[in-house]
Amino acid sequence: MIKIIKIIKPFNTTRRTLVAVLIMTAIALPGSLFAQRNDDSARYSALLTRLDALKQEATLVEDILQIQRLGRAFGFYLDKGYFGEAADLFTDTGRVQYAMDGVYIGRDRIKELFTRHGGGSMNADPGLPFGRLNLHMQLQPLVTVAPGGRTASARWREWALLGNYKDQAQWGDAIQENDYIKEDGVWKISAMRFYTNFVAPYEGGWASLPPVFGNWQSDVARSFRPDQPAPGSYRPFPSVYTPPYHYANDRRAITAPGPIALRRRPNDVLGQLEASADSQELKLARLHSTRAVENLQAMYGYYIDKGKWTEAASLFADNGVWEFGQRGQYIGPDSIRRGLSLMGPEGLESGQLNNYPMLQPVIHVSEDNSRAWGRFRSDVMLARGGTGQWGGGVYENEYINDNGTWRISKQHYWVTFWGDYDQGWTGAGIIPMAPASTTNPPDAPPSVVYQSFPNTYVVPFHYDHPVTGEPHNDMGRLTADKAAGRNVR
Amino acid sequence: MSTHINNISLKVKVWLLASCLLSLASGTASAQSPAQLAALEADLNQLSVRVERLQDVEEIEILQRSYGYYVDKSLWYSLHDLWTEDGTLEIGGRGVFTGKDRVFEYMNVGLGPVGPARNLLVDHQQFQNIVTISADGQSAELRGIAMVMSSGGWGHCYYENDFVKENGVWKMKTLHGPFNMYSGYDIGWVDNIIINTWPAKFPPPPDLPPSVIYLAYPSYYVEPYHYPNPVTGQPMPPHDPAAGGEAFGRQR
Repeated sequence: MIKIIKIIKPFNTTRRTLVAVLIMTAIALPGSLFAQRNDDSARYSALLTRLDALKQEATLVEDILQIQRLGRAFGFYLDKGYFGEAADLFTDTGRVQYAMDGVYIGRDRIKELFTRHGGGSMNADPGLPFGRLNLHMQLQPLVTVAPGGRTASARWREWALLGNYKDQAQWGDAIQENDYIKEDGVWKISAMRFYTNFVAPYEGGWASLPPVFGNWQSDVARSFRPDQPAPGSYRPFPSVYTPPYHYANDRRAITAPGPIALRRRPNDVLGQLEASADSQELKLARLHSTRAVENLQAMYGYYIDKGKWTEAASLFADNGVWEFGQRGQYIGPDSIRRGLSLMGPEGLESGQLNNYPMLQPVIHVSEDNSRAWGRFRSDVMLARGGTGQWGGGVYENEYINDNGTWRISKQHYWVTFWGDYDQGWTGAGIIPMAPASTTNPPDAPPSVVYQSFPNTYVVPFHYDHPVTGEPHNDMGRLTADKAAGRNVR
Repeated sequence: MSTHINNISLKVKVWLLASCLLSLASGTASAQSPAQLAALEADLNQLSVRVERLQDVEEIEILQRSYGYYVDKSLWYSLHDLWTEDGTLEIGGRGVFTGKDRVFEYMNVGLGPVGPARNLLVDHQQFQNIVTISADGQSAELRGIAMVMSSGGWGHCYYENDFVKENGVWKMKTLHGPFNMYSGYDIGWVDNIIINTWPAKFPPPPDLPPSVIYLAYPSYYVEPYHYPNPVTGQPMPPHDPAAGGEAFGRQR
């Protein structure tokens, strides 16, 4: 709330003086008063206009959060067989384009589609039968709200754990490109385009999947015919297919207000209101920037997934740094593109999987909205030459607000573990970090030398503890507690 | 709040007086009436509440996600500092631990020493947070997922957590983490399932018994959604016992 008390107190205590001054001024300087009034009038109108713009800015950030909420609610409903509730998130004419199965239109059809895929029953209320696993994690939202704030688009990554007890366990990997519309103030899903990349058996994993030829419609589509055929055609992994990016020609998702320097305002009532608007404007700009940085890192991840090195490198600042494990540092977009190509050829080859989900963001934006820091994690699914891999690590990144477009100024991936699919991070499966390339060398050596799993370490936090406000110092506190005789280990 | 209103009305009086004097002096009406200024100020106040709610969501997301980063590396001091003094923790079927100190004990006695240990992976990825702030902005709820990749294998659990704002700082009030599926690595969840933990599975003992008794996968249990359907506004309907398994009982 705006603290009016501070504003008003001088008026209160010096009310008589104020009145006297006003009368004297009014008598002595009618001309300048007239000018002053015109000036105040302009300031007042400007404030009204600004307030409208600020309300729109608040609505935009609220819209982004609401669309994230819709996607996450959808996942929580699928998980537990609440297929009717999932369908209720769609408009009356909502559409689901499900892989190559085709398009299902309207909530009843959507409910039945997900019920059949999830193993539920159309004859019972929500639930799943004993032994059915249907976990659909909805990750890495990249939300673009269209100008006017009535429609929006979002890209999501789905990571699924599926199965029937004692029969099968499966991994699912898919991309969604969805459209949303605001009806009577409520955001709804108007179209979901669900691009299955693979459903792979746990045994053997995705690298064991054979190429897909011909019609690969699911059993569900064969018995539950779609309302329309799928508009295009694609083949899943091990083919490399890139579902169209809704932001290919519109990167508004990574924009926000530029850096802001707070201005001094006159010490009058209008000035106090102006200062209050300034404060809200800065707070909103930083909140908007947080979402833009979240989108930016998601965008980077979605490009890396498909070997789009040129697009990924274009998200960096001119002197941006890309550092990966012990590979060293690549500096500037040209070098970064070269560094990224260590992962494979531009666009990848058939059989290559390069899933780098961008997860668990903790983002802080500087006081003046000019810089940001982000901690993310990426637990990765890879395939090369018929062999699958798991990997995991933590990003501590830096971003810069380039006149209203957020760019990556430093991307540092700290590897936690790497392992082959069959044995994961257990025993013989462990793969050590690759050193600097000799054929495609970095511009600078690693900024920190460390070893990944089975060695462990803590990636330094860019932020202080959110409750205590103190730097993270667990090991120091353990030592102190032990010295004080406290029973800790 | 009452002093705030008084001050607005005082401000209105002062401006009425001032604008009357100005009108007298120049013979024309003032640019802005006191009512206009008061309306503008009320509008700004409304906006500041919306902005604060947006900040609240962000701060709670950071709290929950930091919890995950702390678990990853057994940073139990940082972890327990997220709680209020009287906050609680309940994970799987281990029962309820009451108070920040017991949260520390749960981790330190039950799970291991402070700090990362060689050859031990305990990654607890924090996904899919749905945050709901109360109307007065003083409490909040969160539904989320922990996707566990650990030396023990795979785990997927939900959170339905409560938060409170104490002196302007959000803290964990209740962490409630029901399991969905836990399995070993070798063959995944086709079999080799851990259906739940229980109070005596490992020390220390809880302060209170589990708030709900249930079995995780392959049985069916759905932790209630704290929020209504975002589109229809309808509360969560009960699940159908005919459609799936059944929790054995609920104490809250």
